[in-house]
Amino acid sequence: MTDDTPPDRSDRAEQSAESDPGNHDAAATEEVPAHWHHARRMTDGGQPAKEGDVLIGEESDEEAVLDRGPFERWASKAIKNPERAYKSMFYTATIFFLLTTLFPFYWLLMVALTPEGRQQDIILTPNGFNPGAFIEVFEVLPFHWYMFNSFVIATASTVIVLVIGSLAGYAFGRLDFRGKLPMMLLVLVISFFPPAAFFIPLNDLFNTSVFLLEPITGDGTLYNTPGAMVLPLSAIFMPLAIFILTTFYAQIPEGLEDAARVEGTTRLGALFRVIIPLSAPGVATAGVLTFIAVYNEFFFSFLMTDGQPENWAPLLEGILGYQGQYEVLYHLMAASSIIGVIPVAILVVVAQEKIVSGLTAGGLKE
Amino acid sequence: MARVQLEHVTKQYGEETAVDDISLEIEDGEFVTFVGPSGCGKSTTMETVAGLTQPTEGRVYIGEDDVTTLAPKDRGVAMVFQNIALFPHMDVFDNISFGLRLRTYDDAEIERRVEQAADIVQLEGMLDRMPGEMSGGQQQRVGIARAIVRNPDVFLMDEPLANLDAKLRVHMRTELQRLHRELGATIIYVTHDQAEAMTMSNRIAVLNKGRLQQIAPPLVCYNEPTNLFVAGFIGSPSMNFVEGNVIEGGLETNNFTVDFDPSQIPGVTVGDDVTLGVRPEDVHLVRYADSLASSTDPIDARSDVLEPMGDEIFVYLLLSDAETGSMDQDPATSPNQLLMSVTPDTAIEAGQDVDIVLDRSKIHLFDTATGEALVHGLTDRSEQEPGTTPTEADS
Repeated sequence: MTDDTPPDRSDRAEQSAESDPGNHDAAATEEVPAHWHHARRMTDGGQPAKEGDVLIGEESDEEAVLDRGPFERWASKAIKNPERAYKSMFYTATIFFLLTTLFPFYWLLMVALTPEGRQQDIILTPNGFNPGAFIEVFEVLPFHWYMFNSFVIATASTVIVLVIGSLAGYAFGRLDFRGKLPMMLLVLVISFFPPAAFFIPLNDLFNTSVFLLEPITGDGTLYNTPGAMVLPLSAIFMPLAIFILTTFYAQIPEGLEDAARVEGTTRLGALFRVIIPLSAPGVATAGVLTFIAVYNEFFFSFLMTDGQPENWAPLLEGILGYQGQYEVLYHLMAASSIIGVIPVAILVVVAQEKIVSGLTAGGLKE
Repeated sequence: MARVQLEHVTKQYGEETAVDDISLEIEDGEFVTFVGPSGCGKSTTMETVAGLTQPTEGRVYIGEDDVTTLAPKDRGVAMVFQNIALFPHMDVFDNISFGLRLRTYDDAEIERRVEQAADIVQLEGMLDRMPGEMSGGQQQRVGIARAIVRNPDVFLMDEPLANLDAKLRVHMRTELQRLHRELGATIIYVTHDQAEAMTMSNRIAVLNKGRLQQIAPPLVCYNEPTNLFVAGFIGSPSMNFVEGNVIEGGLETNNFTVDFDPSQIPGVTVGDDVTLGVRPEDVHLVRYADSLASSTDPIDARSDVLEPMGDEIFVYLLLSDAETGSMDQDPATSPNQLLMSVTPDTAIEAGQDVDIVLDRSKIHLFDTATGEALVHGLTDRSEQEPGTTPTEADS
């Protein structure tokens, strides 16, 4: 402490000298009126100082490291070296997202492995071990049939979306025509409509007998056929595919298409032989996103069939099928959910490189 | 092989007219170059031949057939592109055989023809490479092989050498000429590089603003340009233009007069505004005047800037002090400046007063208002007869 120490500092020094006289230089104590201690204390915390109180700002007068806890030491290191803070933030976020996404699957697995009737109080481990649930799933209901239906519906929708989306993407991405912008905006606007808004008219339509469909569906309606899901779901997921494909097709140089046309293709031939192969990441992205979206879709899948596998009920109906009127076979629902996720998981793992490059390349259009 | 004929071809994009009523006929086996500045419609004209662009009006004939509405693939044309346009996802063999495979030739035939084509463009041993692994020149050779493998009636080449470096461009230029000789094919070639146009073609079609200015053998375009545009576009550096006024007994410009008898030149009367054109190599120092058959009277000038090119020196001449170093006037069109080309051993310095003469037989006169050529070459003053350029090089 020196003589030019500001009054408040010496004030605190004096206070601490009072509380802990052994540690402080008593010489620093000046003739400060006693009520100053009190006033000073009021500004700090609003409470009058009591004997033996440790005052705020006390530590800053000390050599800092001496009485710091482990967290404070870590904080001071992080300030000196921000990399540590970023790294810890990264791990915190990663662990958080891994937990929130993967823990439900873990729990699903635990529920599936727990034998029937013992589902209460599963926390981290299954109450028992019953891998037979994964086989029982197929015995109680023809679950493979539901999966097949879902697979067919998702594949058909993907094919339709890619073919029509490619044609639309070609037109929007490579041709100049009147009304192009309004049409793109229209596609965008329609994609913003909630799909549920279409349900009632569509359901009505699909329950109406159409003479032309009679040879195909028997009663002439689309209800209980894959068409009842493929048609609306293709339409709902089409705009996204159109936008992805438009961006990609627009980037293929004009000369390549001209070359293909001079060499002997039509415009369509050039699209399928040159433009689409060169836009493979975009096509894969649009295809995988559509497939997953249709495969996972709930609303139309739930309502457009009567839930029987022979009537093209999808996976979802299969999972819900283990929910009876009087009992709910949770372990089978969990097991079937896991089985149902597997095809999509495989698809994502196989295609993830293309999807990532597709999504980023689409965003980086120069 | 076939002839190509355009009949009143016009292409409009909205209000913009890209090609304006072009009619021309290209003989079987001819090498014709479309040349002109950017945006003159030369590529669009070629695209109407290829079928990539539909003309708004007019008809296109290949051989005897009207192909105006046919798809590109049905026209029997092959095209080489400026950006080369190889299919990046196919190897060289697949690129070259693309058109053959679409036409379902059998495999042995495809292989034979691809190898033959690769042979012609010297690509042996590279058939399994991907385009990305090749140099620009090799890629362009693949592009050419892709064009020749189908044995088309007409080759269309849209600035095929524009993206190559200068040395390779000269090399490919000779290769294309050799190819033309070997195949005897009809070739339409588009370029903005007049050196390519001059060296390779049988005839040059000069286009400007969508209109055909002149179609003639290269040296005819050079020596007898039909108008100011062709005169200024063909030749590097450009022809000198000096605006003047026809007086009794000649042409008067700001700084000099050229004698001739206006009555002898059709379309010229006293009082007309006429532009005199003379190429840099036809401007001579007065001391060489004797070697010319006929020269103008000496003209006072001062050398402004010298550009030694090695094989010649370009001398920028100022004809009047008033306009010294004027930056806002293009020396080619300024009435007070002339560009002269002299041999490199000529003793001349910047800022030197010199007397010059023009070679009368190489003077062109153009109508200033319309730009149309009036006469190429003024005759000897003693004869006072108009004449056209006595070039022997016309082919």
